[in-house]
Parts: sequence; structure tokens; C-alpha cells
Amino acid sequence: MPQSDIWTEKYRPLLFDQLLGQQEIVKRVRSLVQAMNIPHLLLAGPAGVGKSTLALIIVKELFGDQWRENYLELNASDERGIDVVRQKVKDFARTKAIANIPFKVIFLDEADALTKEAQQALRRTMENYANTCRFVMSCNYSSRIIDPIQSRCVIFRFKLLEKKDVAVVIRRIAEAEKLTISEEAITQLYEASEGDCRRAVNLLQATASVSPDITPDMINMISAKAQPKDMRVVLDYALAGDFTNSRDKLLDVMLTESISGEDVIKAIQKEIWNLQIEPEIKVRLTEKTGETEFRMTEGSDEFVQLQALLASFVLAGQGKAT
Amino acid sequence: MPLEPQTPNPQSPEPPPPQNQYPQEPPTPNQQNPNPATLEPTPSQNQIPNTPYQPFAEKYRATSFSSLVGQDTAIETIKDFIQNFPKTKKRALLLHGPAGTGKTSIALAAAKEFDLEVLELNASDLRNRAQLEERLKPASQQQSLFKNKGKILLMDEVDGVTGSDRGGIPELVRLIKETKHPIIMTCNDVWQSKLSPVRSQSQLIELRPLSTQTIAALLTKVSLQESIKENQHFLNQIAIKSQGDIRAALNDLQAYASGDNPLDPDVDEKRDVEESIFNILKKIFKDRDDVRNLFDSSSLSLDEILLWIEENTPREYHNEALAKAMLALANADRFRGRIYKNQSWRFLVYQNLFQSNGISFAKPAPLDGFTKYERPKRILKIWLNNQKIAKKKTLAQKLARHTHTNTKRALKDINLLKPVLQQTQVQEQLRLSDDERAFLEK
Repeated sequence: MPQSDIWTEKYRPLLFDQLLGQQEIVKRVRSLVQAMNIPHLLLAGPAGVGKSTLALIIVKELFGDQWRENYLELNASDERGIDVVRQKVKDFARTKAIANIPFKVIFLDEADALTKEAQQALRRTMENYANTCRFVMSCNYSSRIIDPIQSRCVIFRFKLLEKKDVAVVIRRIAEAEKLTISEEAITQLYEASEGDCRRAVNLLQATASVSPDITPDMINMISAKAQPKDMRVVLDYALAGDFTNSRDKLLDVMLTESISGEDVIKAIQKEIWNLQIEPEIKVRLTEKTGETEFRMTEGSDEFVQLQALLASFVLAGQGKAT
Repeated sequence: MPLEPQTPNPQSPEPPPPQNQYPQEPPTPNQQNPNPATLEPTPSQNQIPNTPYQPFAEKYRATSFSSLVGQDTAIETIKDFIQNFPKTKKRALLLHGPAGTGKTSIALAAAKEFDLEVLELNASDLRNRAQLEERLKPASQQQSLFKNKGKILLMDEVDGVTGSDRGGIPELVRLIKETKHPIIMTCNDVWQSKLSPVRSQSQLIELRPLSTQTIAALLTKVSLQESIKENQHFLNQIAIKSQGDIRAALNDLQAYASGDNPLDPDVDEKRDVEESIFNILKKIFKDRDDVRNLFDSSSLSLDEILLWIEENTPREYHNEALAKAMLALANADRFRGRIYKNQSWRFLVYQNLFQSNGISFAKPAPLDGFTKYERPKRILKIWLNNQKIAKKKTLAQKLARHTHTNTKRALKDINLLKPVLQQTQVQEQLRLSDDERAFLEK
């Protein structure tokens, strides 16, 4: 591993035993790896719970020092189109594995970002190269993976990490980096990162870059800085009846901070319950929010859908529901 | 489906030369070399780059892989195909996609890169069975006239093989099975039933419409080379209007630039378009009427009109009317999404209804007064922003690779990790460029 001063890398677990919070999965994967033959795997679960880490541990266990020659990491959402994926897969699979193991491993991150058509194409690729390649795929929602692929994989569902697991990681890093951190600060880190270990560690490192003395306030400040912070401003404009400013601000935030409509909707959904409006209207707005989120996953234009939602907030500001 | 003949097709009017052998120029790095792409050894080859009457679309036809923009995937596939031929799974390639995405250019560029002779037949040639057999079959079997030179057979616009080209498709299929040279075909709609026998014999490559940014960047380059007074906003408008059709964009650019007053935003045609859209908006927003046929006469597409309505609704409507109108627009957009996703063109009816009557009837009563409508700003803003965050993107890619995650995630992480990324040793580990370092200092 090239040395890294980014803590998510520096402290990434290297062994099965170090992977926290997913004991059941680790037990089963370990026995597969010990047999030196893994099936295609589908790792499903939220971000930052150890999917990529498990994939890395698998290849390191399988190939030892030669893991890098036998492992290809692909990002479904980064690679433009399935054709690129296929081409890379082909190039990679064409040569035999160098180690004692007759196959190589391809890690396809965010497989649920692939369209249905691309997944169909991938399914053929998986079959064509089944002898020389094993696919380890990760996704947030296994429901977005087509059945034929699911049926070709062993599926592991990752749980959201519990506080005690994240706390272990934090303490280990704090000790190695000589940080002082209180129990409250750990709680704060966990809450701000919502069980996403990558985010917790990033947040810890960002805070530590200011001072080795980690306090809940500091964490709050740093995490608020990186939040889609202006979402409240967007909503406040809308509630005050100023639709135009509200949507201009929204577009601004989305563009300059490069956050997706999905992030915006998540922030809005949380923010609704902090607003000074009738609870009944909050329920109606939540319903609208859910519908908007669904439409975005369906392939509608994020900004047009969000504007319709903002218009509902304008009404909510006047005590009216749509 | 967009139709091809928006552009003067230099190949159409002339019959192909008797021998069908196109004397290929030696590969040259000169990318401005005009028109090496056409079949005819026409005077076009001798034209100097600044000949005023040559269509930009031909003059700036990409002639090498490096000058083809926005189609990297397709290029990789075609390279792979030609290099591995005849050991490829399929013996023919079928490039498909809407007009102006570079299907023919890619095929011709491939020929050039690999120094292959091109034998081209396009829609202007009769392509019935006898013709194909007579002209292509020998070619598909023989060696090239030029020693050591390979050959590719280019069947342009195969969807144009029509009823009058009797037996054309079965003969084509037979040719594909026997050919000793790679066959490359192009078409717009690959899923028509008549092409199904060809489809099963070919490797398909889809060319997607080019992004507005890609087109705008190319237009900027061309305006520079043509010394057209450049107005980025206007170039963007042309790019947006082209909807991914690079040829249409270049034609528009040339049309506007040929006036005495290059790229004056008040060019007549454009003014017409704007006048018509202003009238449309006025009708929708002021009247409370059945306006479902209103868009029929407009030269703008429904999607463009949707953007105009999106921009201007809050200038007209407030409160309930605004909420209703935005909801109608969201519904129109939802059907737009479904059309694109499933090619369910039937849903156009719904998109149309929601964005016409849905908007008009959102208000309780007709409005009067004058409203100044504005041109949609969103796409321009997105474009400008993309230019601005280009550095951040490459930075995110490096961070993503380094920390085993995806670019989307890394983009978010950058906000949090900025102080960490400013550390020298981290920058070295990530191999950041000077530009990227500078971005972090901001």
C-alpha cells in the first residue's frame, strides 16, 4: 500500500478481524476465501460500512503481495457507460491471474448506478469471463440490481454500523494520532456521520487538522461547514414567499457545492421538522418530499422536481397545504 | 427521431466514381485538413482551409480519433474491432445514434488512423441486391488496390436501404458473413425491424448526443479559427439549440457568421424564435384558455419550451397558482423522463398537456399587464459552473482512486477534507497538479 496520510486509507482495516460490525458476513466470506475460491459477490448496504474494505481484504488474502496485479476497481458511476466497463473488464480478464489462483477479481463499485440495459450487458460479461474473473459488486440498494445478476451472486447485506463499532475505530485512530477526545465528542462524531465510518473518520481528521483536542463543538463547527448548509436559507426564502430567490439559491448551492438532488432532498426532509409550521403541514410536505425523491430516482429532472417542492413550501409558509 | 438531411450532404448529388476506390491520403497530423472524408475525389480535397463556401460541418469534420470529441467509448470499441479483425466475434460494426453525433466521422477517422482504404456506399447509391453483389462483393473479397493497404467497407445510413433496394438487407447479411475486410455500417434507428437480421450479425456501438458543453467548446474553437467575433453566450445558445447534433450546430454557426454582422445576437432568425416564444409564454401565462395546440407552430422543442416556462413562471404566478403551475411542470418533466427512459413517445401527449393547459389553468383567472420574459438561464449556469469546477473534478477523481471510492463521494469528501488536502505530503501522495493545488488554496 502506498503510504497515505488520509486516515480513511491509513487506518483502513487490512484483516478480516479488524472489520467491525459485520461479524456474520466476515465469518462467511472468510470461509469462502479460505477455500481459495469465491463466487461472484454482491455487497449491499449504505455508504461507509465496509464494502470496499471487505473487497480489498478479500483480494489481499487471496493474492498476498500480488493483489494489485489481480484486482481491478471500477466505478459504475464514474466510468462512462457500460462499454468502458466492458472494455476494461475484457482487457483485464484477457490475461491469466499471476498467482496460484485461476481467477482475478473485479470490484464494481456502485453497481446500482448502472442502467437496466447496462446491467443486462454486464450479465453476459459475467458469464463470458466466469472462468477468469470473479465480480465483487457493491450497491446501496440491491433492489436496483436486476434479478439475473442477483441470482448469479452471493448477496451480503451490510448493516449500518453501531455506535460502539464506530467508537472503537475512533479511539484506535485517536490513540495512534495522539488526540484527546471525550466520550461526548465520540457521540457527536457518530451522530454527525450517521453510521458512515468513512465520514466519521474524515470528520475526525478534518477536526484534528485544526486542533488535536477534539471537542463536540469543534466537530459541530467542522461538520456544519461541509453540510449543504444553505438548504435552510433556501427553505426560509420559500416560506417567506420569495420563490425566485429560493430557487436561485438552490441552483447556486447545488452547482457550487456539487451536491446532487438526492442530497438536497435528504437535507430538506430532515429540515422540515425543524421549521416553524403546523405539524399537519409538515406531514403533507414530507409526503411531497418523498414523492419528489421517488421521481428523481425515476429519471426526472432534479431541478424541475425540486422547484415544484419549493412552491409547496411557499404555500406552507402561508399556513396552507397543497 | 431526428432526420439527417438538415445539412447539405456533399455525397448525395454525385454518383460514386466507377472504381469505388478512394485514393487515401497518407495519414497526416493536420487536423484541419478539409474533407478527406468524402468518397469522391472531388475538388474539396484541394481546397484550402479558408475557402468561404465550404460548409463548416465538412470543413471541421473530425478526421482523426484525437479530434473527435465526446465519443471516447465508441472510439475504443472501433479500435478494438479493427485491430482484432477478423478474430472479432462479429464481422461487422453497426454505429447507431441520432444525426450529427459523428457516426460517419468515426468510421472515416478509423480508416485514417489505421491507414485503410475506404469503400463507401451511402443512401444515394442504389443498394439492391444486384448492386451490392456487383460492387461490394468483389471488394469484400479482394485485396486492396494499393499494396499493403487494408480496406474497410463503409455502408453509410443502412436504414436508408429501402423497399426499392430489393434484397438489399439479405445480401448485406450474406456479405457480412463472407467478408475479408471489416464492414462498418451506420444508421439512426437500429431497432427498426427491417434491420434485425443485420443487427444480429453486427457488433453495435451507440453514439450518444454530444453534451452541450462539448459542442460549445467546439464552436468556440471554430469561431477562433474562422476569426468570428466570439460571444460565448451566443455560442452556448447555438449549442443548446442543437440538442447534441454537432453538424446542426456548425451549420447554425456558419449561417449566423456569414452575415456582415457576425454573431450579433439580434440575428433575424433568432429574433423570430424569441418573438415566437414570447408570444407563446404570453398566451400561456396571461390567458386562461385551451392552449394545447400552441406549441405546434413553434420551432422550439417541447423540452426547450419547458425550460422557458420554468424560468418565467415565478414572474407571472404566485402562491397557489405558482404551486399548481410548478406541479404541472414537474408532471410534464416526469413524462419527459419516461419518454427518454423507455422511448415511449406516446407520452409526449402528456408532457404537452401538462406544460400547456396545466400551466394556463393553474391560475384562477386571466392576467393582464406586461411581463418581461427572460431566456432560460439554468443551462448556461450549469455550463459556466462546470468550467469553474473542472479542477475540483479532477481532484475528486484522484482522491477517489486513492481512497477506493467513487468520484461523487470524493466530491463531497473534499469539502470536509480541504484542510487535510492542503498538507504538502498529502498533495504529493495524491500527485496533485499545480492547478489542483491552487484550487485548494482558494
